[in-house]
Amino acid sequence: MMDRRRVLTGVAAAPLVLAAPAFIRRANAQSVVDVAGVYSLSGTFANVGSGLNDGSKWAIEQYGSAAGNKLNYVLLDDRGDAGEAVRKVQEAMTQRGIKHVIGCTNSAIALAVQKEVYARKGIYINEAGADEVTGKDCNKSSFRWPVACYSAVNATVRPLIDKFPKAKRWYTITGQYVFGDSLLSNCKDVFKEKGIEHVGNSYHSLSDREYSGYIATAMAQSPDVLAICNFGNQTLDVVRQAISYGMKRNTKILAVWSTGLDQFQALGPENCEDIYFGANFWHGVDTPGSRRVAEIVKQKTGDVPNYLQACGYAVSQILIEGINKANSTDVPAIVKALEGLSYEGPTGTEMIRPEDHQVVKDYYLMLGKAKGAMKDKNDLCDVVAATKALPPPEKTGCQMAASL
Amino acid sequence: MSAQLLLFQVLNGVGIGMIYFLLSVGLTLIFGLMRFVNFAHGAFYLVAAYIAYAVVIWTGSFWWALLLGPAIVAVLALVIERLLLRHTYSLPHEAQILITFAVALFLQEMVILIFTPLGHNVPVPPALSGVLFLGPYVYPAYRLAVVGVAALVAIMLWIAIERTKMGSILRAGSESAEMVGLLGINVDRVFMATFALGAALAGLAGVLVAPLRGVEPFMSAEALGIAFVVVVVGGLGTLSGALVGGILIGLVQSIMSTLWPEGAQLMIYASMALVILIRPTGLLGRI
Repeated sequence: MMDRRRVLTGVAAAPLVLAAPAFIRRANAQSVVDVAGVYSLSGTFANVGSGLNDGSKWAIEQYGSAAGNKLNYVLLDDRGDAGEAVRKVQEAMTQRGIKHVIGCTNSAIALAVQKEVYARKGIYINEAGADEVTGKDCNKSSFRWPVACYSAVNATVRPLIDKFPKAKRWYTITGQYVFGDSLLSNCKDVFKEKGIEHVGNSYHSLSDREYSGYIATAMAQSPDVLAICNFGNQTLDVVRQAISYGMKRNTKILAVWSTGLDQFQALGPENCEDIYFGANFWHGVDTPGSRRVAEIVKQKTGDVPNYLQACGYAVSQILIEGINKANSTDVPAIVKALEGLSYEGPTGTEMIRPEDHQVVKDYYLMLGKAKGAMKDKNDLCDVVAATKALPPPEKTGCQMAASL
Repeated sequence: MSAQLLLFQVLNGVGIGMIYFLLSVGLTLIFGLMRFVNFAHGAFYLVAAYIAYAVVIWTGSFWWALLLGPAIVAVLALVIERLLLRHTYSLPHEAQILITFAVALFLQEMVILIFTPLGHNVPVPPALSGVLFLGPYVYPAYRLAVVGVAALVAIMLWIAIERTKMGSILRAGSESAEMVGLLGINVDRVFMATFALGAALAGLAGVLVAPLRGVEPFMSAEALGIAFVVVVVGGLGTLSGALVGGILIGLVQSIMSTLWPEGAQLMIYASMALVILIRPTGLLGRI
C-alpha cells in the first residue's frame, strides 16, 4: 500500500517524466543556420553564376553542419544586376534574419553587396576579382577567396615577360567595367616597371560580341603579345576571333583571367593550343583540399571540378571553417576566427590575411596544349607557373576598422 | 588611323554587315509580309546554333549541320506557327511581342536544360580554317565563306521575290493579304511558309555564326538586338533594306572599333537613332 509521502513524490516527479522527451528532443535538435548565396542564374553572366552556385550548394551539403548547427543554403538570384542583388540581400537580412552571406557573379555585384552586408553587421565571403574588394572598399565583414587583379596580372604577365624577354610590345583588349579596368591598370604598372611598350588598348562594352574591328586595330600595332583583360564569354570570343584572324602566327595571346576548365572546354583544344591563360584553380593540382572538392563534384556530375565549382565551394568552405573555429555562428567571433586562419583549401594550404581579408593562394599561368598531347578530355592545359603574388598589405589601400 | 587600316576596317565592316544581313533578313521578311513582330527570331538562331554543335559532335561534319540546322528550325517554326502564333495575327503588336518573347524564353530554357548554361565550341570546318592575306592583314577564309553565303542568299531571295510567281504572291500579300485571299490563294499557307522561311534564315545565320563565336544559351539576345537595329535602319519589310542596313551597321561598328573603341557598340544604336530622326521609315522603307 502506498503511503502519502510516496504518492506526493510520484506526483511531483510526473511532470518531469512527461517533459523528459521534450528535453531530450531539444538536446538532440540542431539549430539551423541559413547561408545566403548571391548568384546570377539569368542574364549575361548566368553561365558563371550557375557553376558558382553549384559549388557553394554542394559544399554546404558535404559539410552538412558547422559547430553543431545544421547548414541551410538559400539561393538569392540577382539576375546579373547589382541593384537586384542588394535588394535581395536586404530582404534576406531584414525579413529572414540571415547574417551569413556568400557569393557573387561579378565584381560590381560583390562591391555593392559587401557594403550592404557590412552595414547590417553580417559576414560576406565572396569570389570577386576587382582589387577594391580587399583594397580601398574593404571592410571587417568581407573576405575574398580568388586572388585580386593585382595578383592575377603579376602571376601571369611577369612570368610571361620573363619567359619571352624579347616580346616588348604588348596590346590590351579590355572590357570596360570595374574588373576589366582593374586588370588593365595593374598591367600598365607591370609594363612600366619591366620596360614594356604598351602599344595600345581597345576598350569594349559588355554587350559586344563582335571583336574583329578591335583585333584589326591591335594587329595594326604589330604587338608581340595580346593581353585580354576581361572574364566570361567575352574573353572566349576575343580569343576565338583573334585566332581566326591569324594573330597566333606572330603574337602570343594571354587571357589574364579565365575560369579555367569550363572555358578551355568551351574553346576546344584547337583554340586552346599555345594560348596562355590565368586561372585560380586547376583540377590537376592534387592537394587534400582539392580532393575534397573533387569528391563531391564527382558524386554530383561524374566529372572533375572546374574553377566555378571550386570557387563556389571555397567561399562556403571559408565560412564553415570560420564557424567551426569560432565554435559559434556569431559574426564577430567568426571574423576573429578567420583572420590569420590557415586551412586546406582547393589549391593547397591557404591562409587568410588579417590585414585585408584576402586569401593567400596560388594563381596559375597555364598554356593550352595540342590535341594530340592530351591524356584525357580535361587535359587541355599545363601549369606553367604557380605564384602567390599579393601586394603588400600597406599597398592595398585597405583601411579596416578594428572591429565590426 | 592609317589609310591601310581604314581600308581593312571597311572590308571587315562589309563582312560583318553581310553576317548581320543574314541575321536580320528573316525578321524583315516575316514583318514585311505578315506585319508580325517576331521576338522569337533570336531563339531560332540560338536553336540552330546548338543543332550545329550537336550535329558536329555526333557526325563530325559541319556540312550536315548546315543542312539540318535551318531545316529543323523551319519545322519547329511551322509547328509553333500552326499551334500558337496563327491565333495571334489579329492581336495588337504588343500581344505578339509578349507571346513570341515567351516562346524565346521557353526555347532558351530548353537549350540550358539540354546543353547546360556553359558555352561550347563549334570548330571551323577544316577546309575553311585558313586565312587570306590582305597586305599586312589577314582575313579568315571561313568568314569570307560566310560573306559569300550571305551574298548568295541575298541574290536567291531577290530572284525568288522579284522573279517568281511565289514572289509575286508574297509581294501582293504584303500589300493586301485580304485581296490575295479573295483571289483564291490560301493566305494562311503563304503566311506559314513565310514564317518557316524566315526562321530557316535565322537558323542558317545561327549555324554559320557558331564556328565564329561558339555557342552559349544567351547568344540570342545580342542577335535579336542587332537584327532589329538592321531592320529599323534599312526599313521594315524590305530585302534591300536589310542588306543596306546590315552593311551600314557593320561599317559603323568596324570603323568605330579603331576610332572610338569604347563607343563602337553605342554608335550602332546612335546610327539607328539618327536614321529614325532623318527618315522614320528607314533608309529604304516605304512611306
